[in-house]
Amino acid sequence: MSAFLYAVALQWRLDIRSKTLLITCYLVPLLFFAIMGGIFTAITPETKDSLIASMTVMGISMGAMIGLPPSLAELYGSDIKKAYQANGIPIGLGITAIFLSAWIHLFLMSVIIYLIAPVAFDALLPVHSLRYFGSLALFLTVSLSVGGVLGLSVKNQAKLTMVSQLVFLPSIMLSGILFPVGLLPDALKFLGKIFPASWGYRLMLGDGSNFLNILPLLVIFFAAGMICVALLRRRKV
Amino acid sequence: MNSAIQVNGLEKKYGAHIVLKGIHFTVEKGEIFALLGVNGAGKTTTLECMEGLRGYDAGSILIDGTLGAQLQSASLPAHMRPLEAIRLFEKYKRTKLQKSVLENLGIPELAKKQYGELSTGQKRRVHLALALTGNPDILILDEPTSGLDINGRQNLHEQIRKLKKEGKTVVLASHDMAEVEELCDRIAILHGGKIVFVGTVEELAKKVGKRYLVQVKTTAGKQSVATGDIGETLLVLLEDFKRKQLPILDIRVDRGTLEQHFMKIAKGEGE
Repeated sequence: MSAFLYAVALQWRLDIRSKTLLITCYLVPLLFFAIMGGIFTAITPETKDSLIASMTVMGISMGAMIGLPPSLAELYGSDIKKAYQANGIPIGLGITAIFLSAWIHLFLMSVIIYLIAPVAFDALLPVHSLRYFGSLALFLTVSLSVGGVLGLSVKNQAKLTMVSQLVFLPSIMLSGILFPVGLLPDALKFLGKIFPASWGYRLMLGDGSNFLNILPLLVIFFAAGMICVALLRRRKV
Repeated sequence: MNSAIQVNGLEKKYGAHIVLKGIHFTVEKGEIFALLGVNGAGKTTTLECMEGLRGYDAGSILIDGTLGAQLQSASLPAHMRPLEAIRLFEKYKRTKLQKSVLENLGIPELAKKQYGELSTGQKRRVHLALALTGNPDILILDEPTSGLDINGRQNLHEQIRKLKKEGKTVVLASHDMAEVEELCDRIAILHGGKIVFVGTVEELAKKVGKRYLVQVKTTAGKQSVATGDIGETLLVLLEDFKRKQLPILDIRVDRGTLEQHFMKIAKGEGE
């Protein structure tokens, strides 16, 4: 256990040193929040009800799908994996430590939005804070698992940047955080449901049945988890 | 199992290209064993199969003991500091590297640097330290001194000899014939996907039909004699010079280098 905790604490320090994760987990999401929060609430005052959830979904999606994958690709797409594997370090250690470290960073970013939005933009706090943070934790976990699949499946960093954007952009555009999903054509509405962002957003807003929002997230999580395990077990032939 | 490693009929192919054609060799416990071969001979593939990093098509590898490995191509996260990596490995293996080992490898002086800032030689030292964490019974070193300066090389040789004294088994792949000749108890030569020789350097010399070259310099000039029996030849020469009352200025015996023997095997001579 102490080895595992050391690995997570070390990863936390590495993430701070690398700055890449700090940019995608804090700087860009909070900058987006600062700018878009002002624009949204000025143009449509009703968005004050959903500002905290929408900005959090945006930040988590960015951190999970653009921030996390390069760290995983650095570890698993390079000779780092060989150095670990040849010396008996568990193959799942890297992804677990990176996952948990990113989880903590993104949760902190979400808390910052939660605390600042009411003061800065007169945003409304969720009615049930505990339920909100539970939903946030689930959405965060599922989003990171999708980021895990990206980071483990694409080894080349340049390709990974493109693939990450291909997942991140539709995920945000079709989630309902920028404009109502009802305005979208049916095909795009359906496409949006593939990504965790649309379900996470609904869940955090308390929009619709909790079970029907949680179930797709769990399905995405288990599918992504199984793909991650399969990718980790893949051995050089 | 008396041996540390037994490789039996190991076959490996990449698509249509067969790299290993059923190789056999045994590494005894406590010996320093070298795997030699030209580039692309399959040394790294063999070592990676032994380390479990690579699958193989046929054969078996039996390993008796724990493994530590310094790979030819290994890396760490760019922002990780050497001591952090060592601590991580130590915590997983629940052991602590001796301070003297770290000092011999010059790790403390790298403490403040991040992995991405290290030179090639410094990185190799860090990976050797990582391989030594957990106090492994068997150490696999792939091109261990590549990129090291003379001090680093000597420190590493010293470290390897120390490991042997402690009863560890060391398997290394190297291009540096002088290093192999100096350090290793036995060698195996990989050529054309097969092991064409396993034994000591002396046995290799015999296999390739080695002859000593004795050069004697006297006041009358130089005399060179090629012989297979060094003892008898020297006795005859010395008696001859004594009888002729010729003062000997210098005697050199060239027994041939491992590199010369290796090149003969690689060219298919002496097989």
